[in-house]
Amino acid sequence: MSDTLMRLTAVFHDVFNDDELVISRDTSAKNIENWDSLTHVTLIVKAEKEFGVRFTSAQVAGLQNVGELIDLIEQKAGR
Amino acid sequence: MNRQLLPKLLEYIADKHPRSRRGVEEAMRVSPQKFTEIAEMFLGWLVKALGDDGIQRAADAFVQFSTDVNLAQARYEVDGSYQNKSFAEVYANHYSQIDTMNEYLWGIYLTNFLWAHHTEISLLYADTFLAKLPATSQIVEIAPGHGGWGAWALSRLPQAQLQGFDISPSAIQIASSVTRAAGVADRATYTERDALDLTHMPQSIADGLICNFLVEHLERPEKLFAVVSHLLKPRAIGFITGALTAAQVDHIYEFRYESELVKMCEEQGLRVLQTLSVGPTRTLPQARFLPRSMALIVQKRCGEFY
Repeated sequence: MSDTLMRLTAVFHDVFNDDELVISRDTSAKNIENWDSLTHVTLIVKAEKEFGVRFTSAQVAGLQNVGELIDLIEQKAGR
Repeated sequence: MNRQLLPKLLEYIADKHPRSRRGVEEAMRVSPQKFTEIAEMFLGWLVKALGDDGIQRAADAFVQFSTDVNLAQARYEVDGSYQNKSFAEVYANHYSQIDTMNEYLWGIYLTNFLWAHHTEISLLYADTFLAKLPATSQIVEIAPGHGGWGAWALSRLPQAQLQGFDISPSAIQIASSVTRAAGVADRATYTERDALDLTHMPQSIADGLICNFLVEHLERPEKLFAVVSHLLKPRAIGFITGALTAAQVDHIYEFRYESELVKMCEEQGLRVLQTLSVGPTRTLPQARFLPRSMALIVQKRCGEFY
């Protein structure tokens, strides 16, 4: 598991209040029932804090799955 | 009415924007039958105005707009104030971007029924406000934006006429396309003009006035209520909506309490007949602010009290 995915998993556990939640690059709102528009923004703001980055609204709206979020974080963080 | 359009929209959202599905389901539960009627009406005009891909385009815009709103609200929770403080900032960052504005307006168009609390406002508008207007009303709409509210009024009142004024050329273009799609364009005229300049128009010309979600975009919102009072005929009525502690990126004036809007109406010669303040059922975790939308049905007073 990549460092980014590991840290992002902790963010998901916090936001969805579920320490058993397993995420992969393919995970999307179709796989997690409570991943709605508000939870998405909560997730994004916590990820911004965890990784020290800031996203635009267009980037946030366009994310389709965890893999795209990881790529965006790594791009923003210059990894 | 095309009964295939709503299923097409719902299917597209479920497939392409599953995070938005829950909010849409909440909106449908407000009043399933009326939701369907409003949705079919708005989607019918949308497809006539934009063509076959209009539903997908507007749904994408709706999701982008809703994300803008939610993200701005999350940042507001941290900062405690709106992002922009002046019209000049908002104009430079948002209103001057023509392509962005076009999509933004189509996104807002769908919030009239896809946001549950806005469905409630739409029902008040149709069932109470439009029901009170005389059949032959001369209606003024300030800042029609996408034009859906005005088209709805003209559809309900087949002898009414509407004059709309908006500062945005994109809004004039889209509102005109919606009234054409609704088959009421021969009774609607739209002019590019700043709302606050309308005090230069003749006084007491409107039997009904519509002004939705403009007041929070102004640096001096009390001036807008003076315009409303100027344009309404004695004892004629208006439908005004505004946003409170709702940090959309182009909101400037931060209303915190419903009474602030009521007071501004009363101070400008308007009697408040009815109010509705609604917010979303779901909020950000530990939210201090509830992003509310408030509707007021007001009447131009002739004297001190009524």
